[in-house]
Amino acid sequence: MEPIIATQDLKKIYRVGRVEVPALRGVDLLVQEGEFLAVAGPSGCGKSTLLHILGGLTPPTSGNVLVDGNDFSVMTDADRTRFRRHKIGFVFQRFNLLPTLTARQNIHIAQHIQGNGYNPHRFDAVVNMLGIRDKLDHKPYALSGGEQQRVAIARAVICEPKMLLADEPTGNLDTENSQIVLNMMRALNRSFRQTILMITHNPEAAAVADRVVRMRDGRIVSD
Amino acid sequence: MINRMVVANILHRPVRTVVSILAVALEVGMVMVVVGLTTGLLQETAKRVEGVRADILVQPPGASFFFGLTQAPMPIRIGDRLAEIPRVYAVAPALFQFNSTGGLNIIYGIDMASFDRVTGGFVYHAGGPLAAPYDILVDDWYAKANRVKVGQTLNFLNHDFRVAGIVEHGKGARLFIQLKTAQELSGAYDKASIFFVRCSDPGYTEPVVNAIHQLLPRYQVLSVKEYMSLMTSNNMPALNAFITAMIAVAVAIGFLVIFLSMYTTITERTREIGILKSLGASKTYIVEVILREASLLSLVGIAAGYGAAVIARKALLAAFPTLSIDLTVEWALWAALLAMVGSLVGALYPALRAAQLDPVDALAYE
Repeated sequence: MEPIIATQDLKKIYRVGRVEVPALRGVDLLVQEGEFLAVAGPSGCGKSTLLHILGGLTPPTSGNVLVDGNDFSVMTDADRTRFRRHKIGFVFQRFNLLPTLTARQNIHIAQHIQGNGYNPHRFDAVVNMLGIRDKLDHKPYALSGGEQQRVAIARAVICEPKMLLADEPTGNLDTENSQIVLNMMRALNRSFRQTILMITHNPEAAAVADRVVRMRDGRIVSD
Repeated sequence: MINRMVVANILHRPVRTVVSILAVALEVGMVMVVVGLTTGLLQETAKRVEGVRADILVQPPGASFFFGLTQAPMPIRIGDRLAEIPRVYAVAPALFQFNSTGGLNIIYGIDMASFDRVTGGFVYHAGGPLAAPYDILVDDWYAKANRVKVGQTLNFLNHDFRVAGIVEHGKGARLFIQLKTAQELSGAYDKASIFFVRCSDPGYTEPVVNAIHQLLPRYQVLSVKEYMSLMTSNNMPALNAFITAMIAVAVAIGFLVIFLSMYTTITERTREIGILKSLGASKTYIVEVILREASLLSLVGIAAGYGAAVIARKALLAAFPTLSIDLTVEWALWAALLAMVGSLVGALYPALRAAQLDPVDALAYE
């Protein structure tokens, strides 16, 4: 079976003034569909950059990156945006809900941007699984961190993306809420065969995944 | 969904919203009131001239048809020659006096007998005709606005005038004095600024105009019909320039406030734009969100501007009852169009800037 993610000698160099800062120094990674992968490593090791490239938020400097058969290294920004809209869901450490919208509207906006409209069955299934039905009409400021992150997960998976990319999803949560969120992600992976790539520096969080990849200095050091 | 987000954004920042709406309202209100004032002034002046019931106006060469802008007197004896033209029923000379004491007024110096013959005579609300050299007639609007009573003394042209009568408005000017007095005060002895010519039948207007042209080739001869059609700001370069300048200022205010408002919004909402981008929102989608927000602010501002224009009109008329402010549907639509286009142009650069934001940088924005 074709891997859903395949990177080869993936490099990313940021320019800060005249200084070149290599964030990725040649990453080779294969991820199968339905897999729950954790990418662990210390701050500055390049794991967030890897996630941004895999999510099409930024192009690589060199190397190949195939996501669901699409080569991001040759796609335009508009093509990557279109791909992201239909195939990728993001969960962030800081939840990143739109503060002026309710939880329900935050979920709907993803459906609206995708353009396929409201699917009540999918909506009900996701909302019930994440246990946020009674929070749907609350705005983010009225929700706890754990609840906000569950809404963010609902928003990320409502359009049935091929991949869920989670950037330190438990980084801003206490232990209890971290466990709830991790359990939810585990359940999503099992119930919907959702491919998940989760970045974390927390070994306990990484342990929930099927497979853990460790990075250091822009390279994968163990798989 | 975009609309819900736009409304939520607008409600989330009430001060910015109110300032933006007020700026657009000011823009719309200003355009409507300035144009309404000038249109009203011109139409009201034209109506009053029409109310003289003359068919033809004869003025010296180079005179402005907006009376009072130039006095340009001509010999009074021309009136006798005009009266000799066949089918001319009556000729009334008038000498314009521009008065700036206690407000701007044009005073007609008139010969009561000939003026009555052309106009059919004044309708007196109180008092009677001009009898003494320093008698004055005021129209009912002026009397009401200035609480003038018959017998009262008014100072015009540095002289005291006794109010002889209050007449029905609509006969050329609001203030009338004797022609001889006006001539003496201005040193224009035996001169007149205009001749109002009435034909024995309005159907004779054209041949009489031709006859006057032959008699006085360099003079300005206009049928009242022509005069009415010329009384628009388009035919008055100075007035047109004033209106254009005021509209430009109003549009600039709306444009700049919306530009600043949306520019600030983009900075404030950088992270939110990053979120939308992470969800797969295209550049067009981001631009659409910003432009819809500007459009909504503009629409509410336009509605508020209409309200402001109506209130300003009422307030101005209460303070200056002789003013005429004509708020037209045509200019309401133009003001709305200007406000909307100004807002969209003002929001376009911030919208394009938002669309160009790098999603990674935007998401990292604190």
